[in-house]
Amino acid sequence: MASSSLKQEGFRYIGKRTPRKDGVAKVSGQMRYTYDIYLPGMLYGRILKSPYPHAKIKNIDVSEAEKMGAVVITFKDVPKKKFNIRLVSADRVNYKDWEVLTDHPKYVGDYVAAVAAETEELAQKAVEAIKIEWEVFEPLLDPFESMKDGRPKIHNKILFGSKEITVKNNVACRLDYSEGDVEKAFKEADVVIERTFKTNRRYHMQLEPKVTVAKPEPDGGITVWTTTQTIHNTRILISQVFDIPMSKVNVKKLPIGGSFGSSIQTNLVTLVAVALALKAGRPVKIALSREEDMYEHSSYQMYFRLKVAARKDGTILAGELENTMDIGGHQIQAYPLLGCLLGWFVSLYKWKNIKYKGIAVYTNKVPACAFRGYGNPQITWAVESVIDELAEALGIDPIELRLKNYVGRGDLFWGQGPTVKSVVKSDGVPELLKKGAELIGWYNRPQPGEQKGRFRRGIGLGRGFHTSGAGGRISGEVIDFTGCILKINEDGSVDYITALQDHGGGSLDAHAKIIAEELGVPLEKINIIWADTQTTVYDVCTHASRGTYVGGEAARRAAREVKKKLLEYAVRLLGDVVNPEALNIKPDEELGQGVIYVEGMPDKKITVGEVAREAWQRNWGSVAAVVSYRATNSPPAYTVYFVEVEVDTETGRLRPVRVVAGADVGTVINPDLAAGQLHGGFAQGWGMAVLEDTPYDPETGELMCRGFITDYKIMTAQDLPKVDDFTVIFASTHEPTGPFGAKGLGEAALNPVAGAVANAIYNAIGVRLYELPITPEKILKALKERGLK
Amino acid sequence: MGKIIRFRLNGRPVSIYVENNELLLNVLREKLGVMSPKYGCGIGECGACTVLLDGEPVLSCLTLAVEVDGKDVVTAEGLAKDSELDVVQRAFIEEGAIQCGYCIPGFILVAKKLLEENPEPDEDFIREYIRGNLCRCTGYVNIVRAIKRAAEELKFHVGKNKQV
Repeated sequence: MASSSLKQEGFRYIGKRTPRKDGVAKVSGQMRYTYDIYLPGMLYGRILKSPYPHAKIKNIDVSEAEKMGAVVITFKDVPKKKFNIRLVSADRVNYKDWEVLTDHPKYVGDYVAAVAAETEELAQKAVEAIKIEWEVFEPLLDPFESMKDGRPKIHNKILFGSKEITVKNNVACRLDYSEGDVEKAFKEADVVIERTFKTNRRYHMQLEPKVTVAKPEPDGGITVWTTTQTIHNTRILISQVFDIPMSKVNVKKLPIGGSFGSSIQTNLVTLVAVALALKAGRPVKIALSREEDMYEHSSYQMYFRLKVAARKDGTILAGELENTMDIGGHQIQAYPLLGCLLGWFVSLYKWKNIKYKGIAVYTNKVPACAFRGYGNPQITWAVESVIDELAEALGIDPIELRLKNYVGRGDLFWGQGPTVKSVVKSDGVPELLKKGAELIGWYNRPQPGEQKGRFRRGIGLGRGFHTSGAGGRISGEVIDFTGCILKINEDGSVDYITALQDHGGGSLDAHAKIIAEELGVPLEKINIIWADTQTTVYDVCTHASRGTYVGGEAARRAAREVKKKLLEYAVRLLGDVVNPEALNIKPDEELGQGVIYVEGMPDKKITVGEVAREAWQRNWGSVAAVVSYRATNSPPAYTVYFVEVEVDTETGRLRPVRVVAGADVGTVINPDLAAGQLHGGFAQGWGMAVLEDTPYDPETGELMCRGFITDYKIMTAQDLPKVDDFTVIFASTHEPTGPFGAKGLGEAALNPVAGAVANAIYNAIGVRLYELPITPEKILKALKERGLK
Repeated sequence: MGKIIRFRLNGRPVSIYVENNELLLNVLREKLGVMSPKYGCGIGECGACTVLLDGEPVLSCLTLAVEVDGKDVVTAEGLAKDSELDVVQRAFIEEGAIQCGYCIPGFILVAKKLLEENPEPDEDFIREYIRGNLCRCTGYVNIVRAIKRAAEELKFHVGKNKQV
């Protein structure tokens, strides 16, 4: 039905500015996050964390803590099982190296014991009273050092699926791939460029630190409130680790105070809270401090060697990538990331001949997990830098070179890795590049290095994409499907029940609009339910920018089913209408109801509310649908950033002067919120490009910032371009496989930013830097070395 | 060791026993059920715990509860009048300035004081004023827009009142 006919008529809700449904609760302070959950009779938990980056417990004495009245657990009290806290890979290819508590901590902050007590203060005192005798090992903080022979083993035996394997040289996992013959292409090419890149290790800095409340139930089950992007995977993991049937594990969905990938896995604190609650027989809350949270998760730090080749006419001939990833003390999703990194790489440009070597290495650092883009911002920074260099070497405009070689409409696309392939069906790249170039003044930008004064400005371009989910035609190695329940209440109002989490980007508001549009009822009638695992069907996770594209299509299908039932009932009630196909529904804002009517016969009508009421009063049954939906595509949402940067050559400081952010998201569903993704994506990308990193103290293995925001800064309102200097444009595309033509956005909004910034810096001062973040110190050093100051 | 303190919380008198070392943030959240001041860092770096103390924005994670004895405390819960949202709250919704929402109560309270101090703020003024409040979602663009919009609306209302 009619996404195409509606498109012609114009949408009623899609693409319109509407107030977000949770807006009033959020501005009036009434939204309840996990941090706000307090239960009667609840204990407070605290966790004892390793002060050493790599050590073994020789002896542990908890008697003093127990004397204080605290409930104490150590590695001796938790299930002896290895698992992965992220359940997204199919089990047969999932690497498992985590335990709930360990006697062999692998980074400063690794969990070794936990306590619960009547107050948080008492719990803290009890944690401090636990005595441990340690055997301490030399920390390995560099992946290349870590791989050398004879270094301490961070892990020995781990599981791959259900098979035990031995870790060698601290290599967590590998993935190699090749297509064609790169060596031959390098020989035949007119230009070959080879560079090495090093990215930063960033902290998510979501505003709400990780927190869990776990409540044991009388039937042996457990109810859990926790910061998570996936309530169902959290439930499955709790069930597997503690051997509790899934039906007795109920995980609640609550608003989350930002995440950006940091709760894509079940944060270990969740399992510890469960273990404490089960032992105590009372509810337990563990709320991490900011300092603790910074020891919970980080982005993947990557080292690339990138070699590309092209013919004089600008045809790219080959791309070779070596990717070494510093994953920290545990695997969360290192193996699927090796595949995705390859997928991002090959889906950026048509390299024709490809060689890839990916290796994930354990270090004694905070475990790395997805951070908005899942490696895509890292590789896009490197590739977009090299593409710019290639354009310069060839004497071709960087826009032209990109247009000639990018993966676009009709091309094979496998952003989510080798097992997730589809063909691109919608592509706004040419439109975005053209409009963006005009808006920023691309063709008037300076020549690199030609400026002399103290302040030098440059314009750079970064182009990229992210997938919309991880769906595909074959099952592959990644789990990706969703589901929802939609029911018409007895007065015609609508309950929409889904496990899919909204991190604030507005996915669920998009779903509500999709339902209202498809069903033909007013948007106010759609109520989004904060549900839990017991009352929803499975959704894998809000990740991979799939919320709108995958979840939205499930919502649309549920609306279609419900509509069918409503029309059947309406035929019965209207008496002489021949069949449901004779009926339409449209919202009547004055009545506040959807109205079912016969075209051209204004009196032949009945409201959705009346149908629902009659179905109830006449005992016909409920009007409801349950949908489980697997997408067979994961189309690219393309983004293009043009950034003007000013370099202060005296201080090395960088300022973002102007931004043009272009996005091809197909049909735009929430214009304000979609723009908000680009605003926020730029702010995070700018931080990635010029500011954020978590270096470690080489002796103690601690974070140099020690978990303080004063020493892990993020951008403030003063550090970013003014409102009028930030332009957002959307391509006028329609994705045929998406709900009403929509695609994803969240991660695409970040991915090309650092590349655009790096290219703008080069345009301003004629210097390229291959290590993130590009700090004032690095700028000054580079200017000095090259005599450009 | 502690004492009973008396203060106005969102217009209502409150009296409560607090320890001398208890923080206002914890007393509001755990003893009084006022949840809009959020814990984000606990050491005055992020602004998520902001409340208005006698009209001034303060960080409740750095304020001892005993310090508010005899004073007036306003949180985001107390801004709506007769269940009508405050103009700043409305502007945040209308400009799409909210994403996860965790930092928003703090921003709104700071914006209230900002507009009281300067009813016609330019963008530099706004950005400097809110620099102590961190947001990781929005890049601040729509937050700045919302504050501008609230300023416009207040100006309009003041004008209207004068005519009456």
